[in-house]
Amino acid sequence: MKRKGVSTMLAMCLLAAAIVCPQIKAQGNKPEPRLKLKVGDVAPDFKLQYFDGSDDKDVSLSQYRGKSNVVLAFYIFAFTGG
Amino acid sequence: MKAFQQNLKKLEAADTQVLGVSMDSPYANKAFADQIGVTFPLLSDWGGDVTRQYGVYVDKYKAPRRINFLIGKDGRILEEQIDRDAIDPKKIVDACERKKLSR
Repeated sequence: MKRKGVSTMLAMCLLAAAIVCPQIKAQGNKPEPRLKLKVGDVAPDFKLQYFDGSDDKDVSLSQYRGKSNVVLAFYIFAFTGG
Repeated sequence: MKAFQQNLKKLEAADTQVLGVSMDSPYANKAFADQIGVTFPLLSDWGGDVTRQYGVYVDKYKAPRRINFLIGKDGRILEEQIDRDAIDPKKIVDACERKKLSR
């Protein structure tokens, strides 16, 4: 049962990779579209959740204001590289 | 995300919190974090509101682009890394360390 779950997950990962990889490759050939937000702009505040293993936790950008820098790393899908 | 994990000590020493963001569910992200050994939060932007607000939503694959923003303590964007460049966080790590030195 567990084994089946693992192979299903693996298959899903491969499928996701098969979908995403050619698109990333294609994207690399185009000139980069510029971002809406530029260096020097105020980053919009947000509140999002993550699961820490037992609870959903809220995180907002404003909670770090004046305390620490924040790296916001947008990534395409879970279980993909980069 | 792994590359940030490898640099996490340096980033933390430079007062920098790393937050991953994707449009996956919190539980998928938790499983992903466990699988690749990431200890910083991977936030769930279910529905993509924040992804759109930041202008990084890609309609074609219904997901964010691979982008890193470094946001300073004043809430302003200090650095951006886009697509392939975003995979190696060196520019951001260096920027954080420079800021630390200049304080």
